[in-house]
Amino acid sequence: MFDLVAQSVFSGLLAGAYYALIALGLALVFGTMRIINLAHGELVLLAGYIAYTAESRFGLDPLAALPAAILIVALTSVIIYLLLTKIRIDREINSLILTFGIAIMLTNGILMIWSADIRSTGSSWYLDAIIIGDTLFAMNTEILFAVIGVLVVAAVWWWLSKSWYGRALRAVSSNRDAAKLMGIDPRTTEILSFAVAGILASIAGLALYSGKVIEPSLGHALTIKAFIITVLAGMGSVPGVLIGAVLIGVAESLTATLWSSALQGLVSMLLFLIVLLVMPSGLFGRTRRRG
Amino acid sequence: MIARTISSVLALTLGLGAANADELIIGSQIPLTGGLARVGVGMNEGIQVAAKVFNETHGQHTIKVITIDDESQPAKAVAAIEKLHSQGALAFTGGYGSNIIGPASDAAERLGKVYMTSGGVATELSHRGLKTFFRIVNAAGYAKAVAGLGDALDLQSFSLIYSTRESTQEVAKLLEEMWTAQGKKVTMHPFDPSIADFKPVLHKIKLQDRPDAIAMVGYENDYVGIIRAAKVLKPDVKAILGTWSLATPKMWQDFPDLVNYTYGTATLSYPAQFSTAEEQTFAEAYKEMFDKEPDYLGTFGYVQGLLLFNAVAEAYDAGTLDSGGVQDALRKAEHNTLIGKVIFDESGDNTNFAHRMAQHQDGSIAIVWPKENATSEAKFPAVPW
Repeated sequence: MFDLVAQSVFSGLLAGAYYALIALGLALVFGTMRIINLAHGELVLLAGYIAYTAESRFGLDPLAALPAAILIVALTSVIIYLLLTKIRIDREINSLILTFGIAIMLTNGILMIWSADIRSTGSSWYLDAIIIGDTLFAMNTEILFAVIGVLVVAAVWWWLSKSWYGRALRAVSSNRDAAKLMGIDPRTTEILSFAVAGILASIAGLALYSGKVIEPSLGHALTIKAFIITVLAGMGSVPGVLIGAVLIGVAESLTATLWSSALQGLVSMLLFLIVLLVMPSGLFGRTRRRG
Repeated sequence: MIARTISSVLALTLGLGAANADELIIGSQIPLTGGLARVGVGMNEGIQVAAKVFNETHGQHTIKVITIDDESQPAKAVAAIEKLHSQGALAFTGGYGSNIIGPASDAAERLGKVYMTSGGVATELSHRGLKTFFRIVNAAGYAKAVAGLGDALDLQSFSLIYSTRESTQEVAKLLEEMWTAQGKKVTMHPFDPSIADFKPVLHKIKLQDRPDAIAMVGYENDYVGIIRAAKVLKPDVKAILGTWSLATPKMWQDFPDLVNYTYGTATLSYPAQFSTAEEQTFAEAYKEMFDKEPDYLGTFGYVQGLLLFNAVAEAYDAGTLDSGGVQDALRKAEHNTLIGKVIFDESGDNTNFAHRMAQHQDGSIAIVWPKENATSEAKFPAVPW
């Protein structure tokens, strides 16, 4: 039983880091602009398909697709922002409708370009096993992107709290007019926020393609997972995203080991509801606002 | 109401012109987008090939298929059926997913028109007392094939990993019943369709179940996730069995390192050996239209399409379109098809449906069960790692 539980916790930690990568872009935009980008999962998926194209058409390693993925996905993300700026009334509600519509368009665009077939990397290195102490098993890609996930979370946290643009973004989020008076251009910082969210979605897309299976209808599920983690973490909390994601990853994995994998989705949703009941602002939301 | 009246008048008028060569309209409600897009596209290809073959060979009437994408949603499937009816469809085909086929075929029943599918295996679909519902596949046929191969390979214990979707769950339960009745050990591992990491499940199988074989009832993405986890954990099993969507050329093309020596249900070997004239006609038309070899989805789509087209043409000629002629034509005879004899019972189920089992063998797909259809011996014991 020890081996089973140890492997389960290990798999859950790796899954958590992967979930954090997926959720971070959505959490950034949600935390700084109060906009829930329902097309975020599709952006992640788009990056995955770019990696697929790089690998299948040009024989490149999926990671080599990162520059192209960043360029296309960040640009798409900025276009979404520019469309959102056209909303004049009830921005929070109408942005949901707009991004949901964009998500449908992106899904169908992906379907038209890449067809409905499932895709995943054919590169064996990513899928080769790593065995630690004859007890813990993982694929290379899981370890690689878990490390990248933690580093990216740390980098985003540093950027938001230490860099000028990060602080500017938080200032705009806190009080747009006051930020303007301090010489900050809200439009530039918000564009930057969406561009960074696009970069994060690109990295998540590569993780997705190199370790899982992609198909055009997957974006919706990714968005839901990212949204749950974002709310669980608490609005605007970057470390909270990692902790929330790991909590969900470990809870799902232990559920599969100790009960049934059919209950994984239910358990993560229950965890989400319990945390929200006990801490309505999420795990780190209140602390974040005070800071 | 007006549309219904007009279409009824049109149908009657068409019926009167039985001796003429006419274009017969068939409605196809099918998922071309959404979660079932991949399987819907495959089935749609088969239906289109059936229309082409019918139009080139029937000699009198032609079929026009009007297709509406149901976007993998039950409500849109019902709306599609109603719209196709208003466009003059004489019968309906398509449909994927038992939860979508259910309400769509209910709508067809209300309109008094036949609904023919191969995309739903849930038993309850044919237990609703509908007169116009027909399907060529069912859960029992899939389960019999997997269980039959298990017997042939003398496997005594199974870890059964299955998606909690309606159709996969039903096949898994049937397999559990069959194997348990034979005194074999079965450990059930249901999984949520959204999960992608199967290592915790495979680890339990490796350390606790220790079965002779892993059996999977799911879809391609599930198989990829399960076999990848199995390649990492390497449980000591003799065989990996799957159901639909595994023993296909596409899976070999995309995931050769994962699927080699796995077993799955199949209608055709690969490279396909087309022995009869109908098989050759089908394969050539498929290649011409889609520039690829047909797969099981296309084969089933073709069979369901052609059966329906012939029945509609027969009823049209007899002037019985409005008096149950299509369903009578389907029920009254045994139909020789690419998937063997099709015999519909009163509930619309194909009582003769029994699938075959095939194995990926280093780039080819060999039919290995039943023995009379086998194109090669099973390579056993063998796993992809």
